[in-house]
Amino acid sequence: MGSRFSIPLVLVTFLLSGTLLSACISYRFVRAVQGDEVVPPGDAFELGKTNLGEVLSVLGAPDKVAELKGKDLLLYERAVLQDSRLSLSIPLLDISGANVDLSGYGTLVRYDRLWLLFTPDSILRQMMFEKGSSHPYLKTLFKED
Amino acid sequence: MKSFISLFLILTMITLISGCLLLGKNKEYQPFETSGLDQLTPGRTTASEVTAMLGAPTQVVKLSNGNAYIYKRSLSKGTGLWLVIVSFGNYDKDYDQLVFFFDQNDVLRHYGVSLNARKASYGLPF
Repeated sequence: MGSRFSIPLVLVTFLLSGTLLSACISYRFVRAVQGDEVVPPGDAFELGKTNLGEVLSVLGAPDKVAELKGKDLLLYERAVLQDSRLSLSIPLLDISGANVDLSGYGTLVRYDRLWLLFTPDSILRQMMFEKGSSHPYLKTLFKED
Repeated sequence: MKSFISLFLILTMITLISGCLLLGKNKEYQPFETSGLDQLTPGRTTASEVTAMLGAPTQVVKLSNGNAYIYKRSLSKGTGLWLVIVSFGNYDKDYDQLVFFFDQNDVLRHYGVSLNARKASYGLPF
């Protein structure tokens, strides 16, 4: 007993469906990185001893410089953006007068930052490092707090 | 039947590769002339000598004991790939930066150099 559907018909239907669906379903993923990698300072610098010149020779020029209550702040920063968008739509305008459209997106920007504070005589007084890019994309995105 | 499957595979391939690839580049400011940086001597070089060499800074920041002159240039490269129902984008931006720290008499105390703009690259986001 032969099959109820011919194989060529199934294949053509499959191909046509895929082609037509491309107008209805779309997924987009974008990644954007701004700045060079920020390395953790480790034991390279010592508070109260390391001076500005030593920091600059190791890390190079900072991304931002500012004065903060009589002290000098150097900031090294890298931003990593990830964005996902999923869109489902059924164009029914000619049939029902309205389109069905369901879209969702999630954008997450994470920062790696090294923050160094110097006294007016250029001695390192405080430093902080945060590696935001180590947080997983989806888990961080869907976390409520 | 075989010829039909071959035709189907060809049509499928055409459908799947009927995407589009985009490559883009964006530059801000002119490249730095860094060959003269060896001549800079902390404690001797003045702010006017630095500006004579590199031109006007991108930004000047007042600090607790002087000023910082910041020279910044960026290079960004973007890649986009569209494949029927999925699309991918990647954007990479890196900087060349020179920061000079001057004391209150406009004498160079320290300077830092980061030349990373050429690290910007094309690619996919994964």
